[in-house]
Amino acid sequence: MRQLIVRRLLQTVPMLFFVSVVCFAMIKLAPGDPVLSFVTPNMHADDIERIRHNLGLDKPAYVQYFLWLKEILQGDFGYSLVNHQPVLDQILDRLPATAGLMGSAIALAVLLAIPLGLIAGANRNRWADKLINLVAYIGISVPLFWLAILLMYLFAIKLHLLPSMGMRTIGVESAWDVVKHGILPCTVLAFGFLASYVRYIRSSTIGQLKEEYVQIQYAFGSRKSTILFRHVLKHVLLPVITLLGMSMGDLVAGAIVTETVFSWPGIGSLGMTAVKGMDYPLIMGITLFSSLMLILGNLIADILYSFVDPRIKLKG
Amino acid sequence: MRKGFSGVVMLVLLAVMISACSGNNNAGAPNTSETPAESQQPAASEGPKDGGNLIIGVASDPVVLNPNYAGDRVSLTIDQALYAPLFQVNNGEKTYYLAESLTPSEDNLTYTLRLKDGLTWHDGEKLTADDVVFTIDSILDEKQNSFLRANFLIGDKAITATKVDDLTVEFKLPQVAPAFEATLVQVFPIPKHVFENEADIEKSTKNAAPVGSGPFKFKEYKAGEYVTLERFDNYFGGKPHLDSVTYRIAKDTNAANLALQNGEINVQYLDPKDVATIEATNNFEILPYSEGRLSYLMFNAGSDTGALAKKEVRQALSLALSRDEIIQTAYTSTEYADPAKSFLTPDALYHTNDVTSFDNDPAKAKEMLAAAGESNLKLRFIVQSGNKAQEAISLYVQQKLKEIGVEVELQSMDSSAWVQKFIDLNATDYELALTGYIMGYDPDAYRILFTTGASSNYTRYANSEVDQLLNDGAGEADPAKRGEIYTKAQQIIAEDAPIYPIAYTKTVVAVSNQYGGIEEAVLKPVVIFEDLSKLYLK
Repeated sequence: MRQLIVRRLLQTVPMLFFVSVVCFAMIKLAPGDPVLSFVTPNMHADDIERIRHNLGLDKPAYVQYFLWLKEILQGDFGYSLVNHQPVLDQILDRLPATAGLMGSAIALAVLLAIPLGLIAGANRNRWADKLINLVAYIGISVPLFWLAILLMYLFAIKLHLLPSMGMRTIGVESAWDVVKHGILPCTVLAFGFLASYVRYIRSSTIGQLKEEYVQIQYAFGSRKSTILFRHVLKHVLLPVITLLGMSMGDLVAGAIVTETVFSWPGIGSLGMTAVKGMDYPLIMGITLFSSLMLILGNLIADILYSFVDPRIKLKG
Repeated sequence: MRKGFSGVVMLVLLAVMISACSGNNNAGAPNTSETPAESQQPAASEGPKDGGNLIIGVASDPVVLNPNYAGDRVSLTIDQALYAPLFQVNNGEKTYYLAESLTPSEDNLTYTLRLKDGLTWHDGEKLTADDVVFTIDSILDEKQNSFLRANFLIGDKAITATKVDDLTVEFKLPQVAPAFEATLVQVFPIPKHVFENEADIEKSTKNAAPVGSGPFKFKEYKAGEYVTLERFDNYFGGKPHLDSVTYRIAKDTNAANLALQNGEINVQYLDPKDVATIEATNNFEILPYSEGRLSYLMFNAGSDTGALAKKEVRQALSLALSRDEIIQTAYTSTEYADPAKSFLTPDALYHTNDVTSFDNDPAKAKEMLAAAGESNLKLRFIVQSGNKAQEAISLYVQQKLKEIGVEVELQSMDSSAWVQKFIDLNATDYELALTGYIMGYDPDAYRILFTTGASSNYTRYANSEVDQLLNDGAGEADPAKRGEIYTKAQQIIAEDAPIYPIAYTKTVVAVSNQYGGIEEAVLKPVVIFEDLSKLYLK
């Protein structure tokens, strides 16, 4: 088991290398030039070249890449081209906001998705199922930024129950204040996740209900609710582990749209700024960081699987 | 039991709907959440009061809180409160801040700057001539990478600053340059005692806790959230009225407008299309003011077809368009954009809109095209995708030019690709682009746009008479003669039509009507308020 985990961890190295190459190539191929953000109209051409040189952007792309790689291998993520702050500091600075928001959104989505999915699966094609499906389809098709503005209008402007945006009231340092600011973005994100989770659990439930053990329980005269929540639930939880593993990337990458709309100071909105400013080191740092978490998340999910479900054996 | 589950779901949904409905009914109910400002009745008292906080909405994080490097709107806005300028100029009139006077010598080659007595930095250190000289030297130091450096070079020679005594600095110019005053307007001294011996001031960690001399001093910066400044009691212009000013980062325009209505933001830029919504709340003063910007349609005279190198063709294309219609299309009304004819903006010295204008005469446009021997003209118009105003205007231009038999192909591209093509002086594969500029109040700043082969001559305009005039204007110390020069330049450029000037655009700012002193604080392009110390909570 330990050997296996070590091997899987080692496999992440070439994977991350590949991710970084693709990411770097894509940024380089995209139109735009980070130097432009420093240029004013009356600058001389040699001033512009000097800035380019100082930023190391006059070197060939592959040299830039290997210089970056060399630093990364030494644990140095470099400095933002735009504000010159260390990339790692900026990511770590934003991480709690993103992890808190995404973590609670995913947890909320899972908590709601399990009963809804079970009910939908158990009442397949009946009106409860159709209603839940309808909600799920709305969740998939409604643009989150629109839902965000709608909720903001309702709960901040009309009801005055919640603040409209940001993570804190200015100058206030209290956990409750942060929670209050987090309710709306968390709800919006959870609604987005919920849809796919419900669909996942619903089809898993339908599959389980056909299994023999369910038929036997029926034969013993167990009530449907007992069967669902005592027996089927355990099996249905398995795919939830996969879902959670896959969400690890989101957990650190944040949600660009939702964070931007709510001005939530997380990694998603940081990434948006980085892309707009063609801030190569920051874009690379965020990509690498979230890829790493995604890969680790999947690994953890696989390991958990082997504990929860003895039928599944981890093989390299 | 099955029914039971469904019943629960139904109940939850009903509850949501009911609360949603009651939400609408509560619209007029008093405000109980975090809107302290709105729940207080404005006092009927006269004159400024002390105390209170102000929250200004900004669209992004500041890049660097150091005026030698601030180039983005947000950094410039915050620096305006954090650092004090030497002096500012409005409508040609100087307002002195750190400086007490600026006197040119007889030959206009030496300027003597006197500082006010008893100036201090936020940390209590004395602000003296040493700081001013240090600031200028840092700007000029190539290793320090300040983009202001180019402004301190005349030709290839640098302007030098030397200390005479603690309160006096002498500037030596390599040649006569009246635009030097406009250069000094952009100087906000930085403290020598903080930045001395820093190898790279731009990247210095000391920028994270800036020490300035403006009305408000740095308190706290939470990345992605806000920057808070608090009152600086020793501000030379008198103790500021407000206790604190916070710049709140609101990245989404719609969300920012909601936060404005909710009292979480007190001052915010508005899109003209949002003005009606905000105005309807009766809680805000809507203030449109000139931002010193010209919005225009650019003719690329250097395109590979060569069509736009002829001035008659450019004049004809201009005649096919209607300025008023474009303003309606892009800015909803002339309330937010004044029709433009001259390349100089109204805030610029010697501006006149009394120049030739080619506008709204399609019949004559056709005649002129025929006379110029152009038929089946095809033009390429580069447009930034996603930019609503550009997309709307480009469609309008396409349709209007079709009426005079000119085919326009719209080339939509990503905004960074667009910028790259636009600033590339060798790009020959397009003819039309929509853009704008803010160049400041001294007309010499426009030289780089319209002299032959200049660094920002994107139109590839070339007229030796204009070159001569703009170069003469740069070195002419006599205001009367200088005025004549620029009046003439405006007439010639209007006649040559290298651009089709559309409008002098306005910025619209909404300020919560609980704040007073807006007039004294002076609305200013880019930075919103010139002197925040004058603003107060009613």
